[in-house]
Amino acid sequence: MTALIALSNLTKRYGNIVAIDRLDAKVDGKIIGLLGPNGAGKSTLLKSLLGIIPYEGGAQVLGLEARTHGAEIRDRVGYMPEQEAFLSGMSAVEMCTYAAELSGLPHTEAKQRAHAALYYAGLEEKRYQPIDGYSTGMKQRVKLAQALVHDPEILFLDEPTNGLDPRSRDEMLALIEELPQRRGCAIVLSTHLLPDVERVCDHAMIMHHGKLRFSGSIDELRGERGRDTEILVEVKADAAALAAILVEAGATCHLVSPVSVAVSLPATATNELVFRRAREAGLQIRGIGERRESVEAAFLRVIGDAPAKEATP
Amino acid sequence: MTPPPVAPVGTIHDLGYKRYAGSRRSAGKRWLVVMRNQISSSWKTWWRFKSALALAVLTTFIAGGVMFILSDQVVRNFAGAAASTMADAALPKSIQWYTRAGFLVSLTIGARLVAGDLQSGAFTFYFARSVRPRDYVIGKLMGMVVLMSMISMAGPLVLALSRLGLAQDFDQFLAILPLVPKAITMGLLGTLVFATVPVAFSSLISNVRYAMALWAAYYLVFGWIVSLLGRKTRSWIGVLDLSTSLDAIALDLFDLRLFRGRAGHLDATEALISVLVHVGVAILIVGYQVRRAHGAGVGGSS
Repeated sequence: MTALIALSNLTKRYGNIVAIDRLDAKVDGKIIGLLGPNGAGKSTLLKSLLGIIPYEGGAQVLGLEARTHGAEIRDRVGYMPEQEAFLSGMSAVEMCTYAAELSGLPHTEAKQRAHAALYYAGLEEKRYQPIDGYSTGMKQRVKLAQALVHDPEILFLDEPTNGLDPRSRDEMLALIEELPQRRGCAIVLSTHLLPDVERVCDHAMIMHHGKLRFSGSIDELRGERGRDTEILVEVKADAAALAAILVEAGATCHLVSPVSVAVSLPATATNELVFRRAREAGLQIRGIGERRESVEAAFLRVIGDAPAKEATP
Repeated sequence: MTPPPVAPVGTIHDLGYKRYAGSRRSAGKRWLVVMRNQISSSWKTWWRFKSALALAVLTTFIAGGVMFILSDQVVRNFAGAAASTMADAALPKSIQWYTRAGFLVSLTIGARLVAGDLQSGAFTFYFARSVRPRDYVIGKLMGMVVLMSMISMAGPLVLALSRLGLAQDFDQFLAILPLVPKAITMGLLGTLVFATVPVAFSSLISNVRYAMALWAAYYLVFGWIVSLLGRKTRSWIGVLDLSTSLDAIALDLFDLRLFRGRAGHLDATEALISVLVHVGVAILIVGYQVRRAHGAGVGGSS
């Protein structure tokens, strides 16, 4: 089966500056978070995938090479830019109709789909008003609608919740979350906002200094802690004593509270080790569970110790 | 009795949604969409296009009226020499008014065209789709050509046909028949100048007001200076003034050299070359600037 996005040794240079450096990955999923700090190369990657800029290596979207099939890809991909990209004096309906026609749809079909996309994005009656007078939240909705209007198979969303108040942000994320199911399209969500990724994404790509540091599912991202597995152990009393005996057994521990300790067990050990050592020390265990790392913590870990852990495709 | 079906919550906006499976307009014809949008958006407001169109229509009515009512009246030049009849002079003398209307449209639409898109970030809107830079350039320029031809070509053509209608016999009809291609030629030159040169200025600056000011300064101030220099030095430099060049070509084409006025010293061939070079260079500039902006147009900087 063809991967949504396949990168092979993808490199982009601007003179002496390497914006993206030998990216290798096969990316699939419903909502893929493209993460990275400023200057990581996210926008350059998006431009390369849209076939807008030349590059070295290979970049395939929906099985089509972006270098040679850029126009075909752009007919099948919707792009919601981060910055404002409106046509002055146009209403939302006019702009979305125009967008659909530019993507090749006949005028009548384009108009129908413009109305449908704007309804979906929640603009309703406001869609007849000129965009120049819209609030930031409404403009974001128009950008989403114009990206959707030509019925794309993949949506590239660049910072879709930027500048939104908490309620609008929540509504926008709800719309994004529903899209794969209701419109049958995959989403690549480029963002700095890690809680957004945590809420809606099932896969992630993490870039840093032009390199791909991680590519895989969110669960893999959270679980990718080298050879250790972290668990949270709750005891009736004296978590410090339990920590001390587990450290002797080769585990890494840190106290979360007087009655709980986070434990990274050696690769060969299981939870049985914790129970056994606690029993021997006369400590009562009240609970034990997997300690899930937040996406934010995982992101910081991936970009923080990145030289030691290069991503594997 | 069967209860009425209840729509699932949250599906109202997606009723009837189906993936589009029909044919799409081929990539080579997307410029037509750009052109149509250019025309329809220009037509929307009074001050951008319709006011200049009204001036062109008024010119046609006045020149047509003069042609009809005062058809046999002899027209003299400043030196008092009989130069032509009013019927024959009305069309060429009206060209400068069409040129003025053309300049108005070039200022309100042409000089804003690319600058407006650069300013509003519309390049991202265009180039994230399967619109190529050449589709954008051709669509925008052809849109301008259609709009400008309504100003610069339609009026002269109507006047030329009216003049044919005033012919007293078939021999005269044949004699003045070349007025039609001449009117079309002048209309075409005016259309090309005002559909391309201001757009080139607009592609140089991503600020609408500055682009308009730059084009107005070039056409009016620079034009006036080079025209004055040309007259003082009796040299070719005056052909750099587009307005005077169009005047010189029109009066030469319609055999009214005695009316040349400030275009008197200009050679029509040199004026024609100047006009064509302006148009050619303008198209090259627009193409280059759009292509340059295209690469950086999507996704911001990385």
